[in-house]
Amino acid sequence: MATAAAHLLGRLALSWLAVVAVAFVLLRFMPGDPVDVFLAHVNVRSGPETVAAYRAQWDLDGSLAAQFGRWLVGFATFDWGVSFETGRPVAADFVARLPYSAAIGFGGMALAVAGGFGLGFLAAHRPGGVADVLSRGLAVAGQALPAFAVGVVLLWVFGVRLRWIDAFGGSLVERLLLPTLLVAFFSMGSMARLARAGFGDVKRSPYYRTALAKGRSDAGALWRHGWAAGFLTLIAGLAPELAWVVGGTAIAEIVFGVPGLSERVVQAVNHRDYVVIQAYVALVALWVALVLQGARLVRRSLDPRLS
Amino acid sequence: MIPLSLSRATAAALMAAAALTTAPLLAAEVTIGQTFLASGLDPAEGSNGWALVSHGIAEQLFRVSRDGEVVPNLAASAAMNQDGSWTVELAPDRFFSDGAPVSADAVADALNRTGAANPSARATAGRLTFTALDADTLTVATEQPTTILPSILAEWAFPVYRMVEGTPVFTGPFTVERFDPGGSIEMTPNVHYADAEARPDITLRRIADGQSLALAFASGELDMAFNLPVETLPMLEAVDGDTVSFPVAYQYMMWMNTRTPALSDPRVRRAIDLAVNRDDLVTAAQAGMPATGAFAESYPFAAEDPLVHDPDAAAALLDEAGWAMGADGVRTRGDERLNLVLYAYPQRPDLITFQPVVRAALAEIGVAVTTQVTESPSNVAASGDFDLFLWAQHTAPAGDPGLFLSLFFETGAARNYSGWSNVAYDALIADLRAAVHPEARIDLARQAQAIIAKEAPVLFLVTPEWHVGLSPALAGYEPWGSDYYVIRPDLVAAQ
Repeated sequence: MATAAAHLLGRLALSWLAVVAVAFVLLRFMPGDPVDVFLAHVNVRSGPETVAAYRAQWDLDGSLAAQFGRWLVGFATFDWGVSFETGRPVAADFVARLPYSAAIGFGGMALAVAGGFGLGFLAAHRPGGVADVLSRGLAVAGQALPAFAVGVVLLWVFGVRLRWIDAFGGSLVERLLLPTLLVAFFSMGSMARLARAGFGDVKRSPYYRTALAKGRSDAGALWRHGWAAGFLTLIAGLAPELAWVVGGTAIAEIVFGVPGLSERVVQAVNHRDYVVIQAYVALVALWVALVLQGARLVRRSLDPRLS
Repeated sequence: MIPLSLSRATAAALMAAAALTTAPLLAAEVTIGQTFLASGLDPAEGSNGWALVSHGIAEQLFRVSRDGEVVPNLAASAAMNQDGSWTVELAPDRFFSDGAPVSADAVADALNRTGAANPSARATAGRLTFTALDADTLTVATEQPTTILPSILAEWAFPVYRMVEGTPVFTGPFTVERFDPGGSIEMTPNVHYADAEARPDITLRRIADGQSLALAFASGELDMAFNLPVETLPMLEAVDGDTVSFPVAYQYMMWMNTRTPALSDPRVRRAIDLAVNRDDLVTAAQAGMPATGAFAESYPFAAEDPLVHDPDAAAALLDEAGWAMGADGVRTRGDERLNLVLYAYPQRPDLITFQPVVRAALAEIGVAVTTQVTESPSNVAASGDFDLFLWAQHTAPAGDPGLFLSLFFETGAARNYSGWSNVAYDALIADLRAAVHPEARIDLARQAQAIIAKEAPVLFLVTPEWHVGLSPALAGYEPWGSDYYVIRPDLVAAQ
């Protein structure tokens, strides 16, 4: 058991190291030098002395291997560097912004799971019914509609026309409600279809027919014998979605002016702010590895056939 | 007695009520939305100094006035000494927001600290060393000689502050009460700044997307929405309040790569200049005004004569340069077709809008244009791998023409993207660098622009306009100064 755990941890660590090393190199190949971008942005005379001073200050001199080594040691000791653009420590910036992104991401995903699970159950219960059509429509909309446009429409309807919400200046709950709904909207349809598939499998099973023969109602039998199957299918689809919760909320944050982590990363890409992007990639790589592994363990514990 | 007292009391109450109803009602709080916000409060870090001045929190010793002139602010005067150093006198009765007077010691400590930490503070004249002579007088020694220290001190890197227990205290009309990085700043009037009672409390909110900014203004959540996208203005006509447009100093221009065979001939460049109708560009962008030269019209050193649109003269110049019109409408010289690659970048959407307009204008005189978009304008421009390049640039960020005219046009200068070289121009810029008197600098700057207009290594196209939404609470506030002075001391609540 201990050997298996060590093996698993070692594999995770190596995968993470490979991802962050590749990201470190690829970042340096991005078009646009960070010093040039910064100096052009702030209208500063970009003589060679100024460029050299910034390159030294931002640790852009020396070999890539040496830079990566310094970054790795810094990351491990929670010294994630200082943003080129803002001059603020990256770790402090992330700590301040992560709660916003997490609230929107996890809140939206929780809504999507709860709504999708219920909708999937109803869709499986009455194929071709309202819930089935609605879940299909949501799934298609989630794939087809641009998130940015949907966000602006939400803002216009609830903020401008109905004036139910102060989307920018209201309480924290008010400010996070619409972005959370936006994230939920784009995941709920696919969640519902996954749950429907799980419940649908159960409807074709002999034990479901046995339950009906014993006099249970359609809905009662489906819920009693199908919830675990629906949930298992949902988890399989949820893991990749959860993996992108950290950072997958950028559009919601930009449209609704939420100072979250994802919005900060978009800003960092525009400014070629390597330290911010690198720290973000490292965190996301860690998170994705943990979520996928966690989901695998949950599914194994719920479904003995996978053990 | 009692009835009399009662009637007096009633009368007094009535008078007080009347006074209250006729007294001007001022908005106590306003909310301002804009697409950028200070990343931190330490002016020595990043580009915080810019945002802090723009937000009305910090001030410099000198600033750029509405008329584009460098004027004293926390300083009263600056004079150049015989040894090349400068003496700066501080203005009387100026205070930090904690009530401490603005002293020479405090200024020297702050600006020496910034100079050590921030390379941008060393960009124009090297390291500046500030030394307090007495309570109100400083000397400033510059690493490289300069005749324009007031302009340098008006750069965004030089806000004055005082560190108190690790926290900077500023002198601007507003003081920070609460700072949520990336989200908002809550500010109150600085009670040690003149006329503080007329200013409202301000919540400054960052809304990165222009469409969202417009919707926030339409929903009534904002009293000022700074830099609205032009396409949102019709929607805002129905909103209570005004939208105000004002010219900004981020000139739109088009570099011409003088290292290429076709564009090395000034006649070809002049022809392109004459072929482009700047009014068409203004129409395409739905805002702005045709440029007259390198600088927006508000600057005293702006060129005064309009730039000419004359396609016939353009065609004649191309004929003279040996480019004959081909059967397919594209000119050729020998085996060479006059086909140019025109770049723009999406960070300035107006430039993308300009591309088809420029292509159509040049097609009329037989110049074929292939358009390209790049995410990395600085890289492409510096590489020289282009023919034409649409560009936006603040041409006088510190109120002086010298920076732009030297940095972008002098032979071999760091950002001379067009690769142009002109001996007479270089001599003129050397004179400009040495000139002290403002009138002389204005004259030299205009002469430099005349050479540029004649040689056309660049086309100055449009002075853009930005758009600001103002609710009735801020009615009458006049935006100016691009994004350098968004919140100024004259931001007071409307009656």
